[in-house]
Amino acid sequence: MSAAAIINEDQRDCYQELTNVAMGQAADRLARLLNAYVVLPIPKISVIENSDLNMALQGATSDNSVSAVCQGFIGAGISGEAMLMFNDASFASLASLMKYSGPLTQAAELELLMDTASVLIGACIHGIGDQLEIVFNQGHPVVLGQHCDMADLVAYGNNGWDKALAIEIHYTIEHVNIECELLLLFTEESVRALNKKIDYLLD
Amino acid sequence: MSLNVLICDDSSFARKQMARALPEEWQVEVHFAGDGVEGVDAIREGKGDVVFLDLTMPNMDGYGVLETIRRDDLPAMVIVVSGDIQPDAQERVKKLGAMAFIKKPIDADKARSVLTEYGIMTGA
Repeated sequence: MSAAAIINEDQRDCYQELTNVAMGQAADRLARLLNAYVVLPIPKISVIENSDLNMALQGATSDNSVSAVCQGFIGAGISGEAMLMFNDASFASLASLMKYSGPLTQAAELELLMDTASVLIGACIHGIGDQLEIVFNQGHPVVLGQHCDMADLVAYGNNGWDKALAIEIHYTIEHVNIECELLLLFTEESVRALNKKIDYLLD
Repeated sequence: MSLNVLICDDSSFARKQMARALPEEWQVEVHFAGDGVEGVDAIREGKGDVVFLDLTMPNMDGYGVLETIRRDDLPAMVIVVSGDIQPDAQERVKKLGAMAFIKKPIDADKARSVLTEYGIMTGA
């Protein structure tokens, strides 16, 4: 089976539209938190092989020094993993938008990272779930690393899957230097269950 | 002569969802466009008396369509239908001349209430 065959074009289009709506809800939450305008991209839906994860992540941020959080979620026989990666250059602007007044220590950056992750990941996962009538339960967020090289993060994702559906959303904030990438990964088994829900919507 | 309604969205799923949300008894001709460039072309051809417009699209986005309509004074009543629900986005499209804003996902009740509120639906 070719890499692309786990979803067809209609399904890809539908995943993209569901993501579009969910990421808009997440952006709205972030915009209110930061009092800024979040620029929404067209989300990228692709099927990746385990070995491509490195490339997907490398393309995710323009800077190699990143900080990242991941959080698993599960519901209705579907499990997925959300990863939020921040370009490290973003933290200064993020701190000022959040009116964070103290020195920007590693601990302070961690707090900013976790706060943003909880808003973006939570809203996005629930936005997708709502449209498919799935209640996703989220696991605890895990910090994958701060100020680390993208290549070091990749080791994390390499656990026991061949192919996955990847949903990539590249958020930027207008007028300031804040850039982050939200990556949702669903393994083949979960995609089969998701496709059933998608086909129902497409019908 | 019936009213021409244009649904402009890059997602075929979203176009279908929008078409399904239109009131059944509304006597209109429905047309579709897959991005902003196609949308503007369709409006110039007279297919967009009423336009349901998405914002995030390739080639030309919804903001570009609104700017073109205003610049060239094209005859179209635009209702933006978008997943970008930030208050800023709604304000921007209103400033650019959009008549109304509907949050995605669209449903029949939202479509009907906007069409009625702005007096667009006639001949029912």
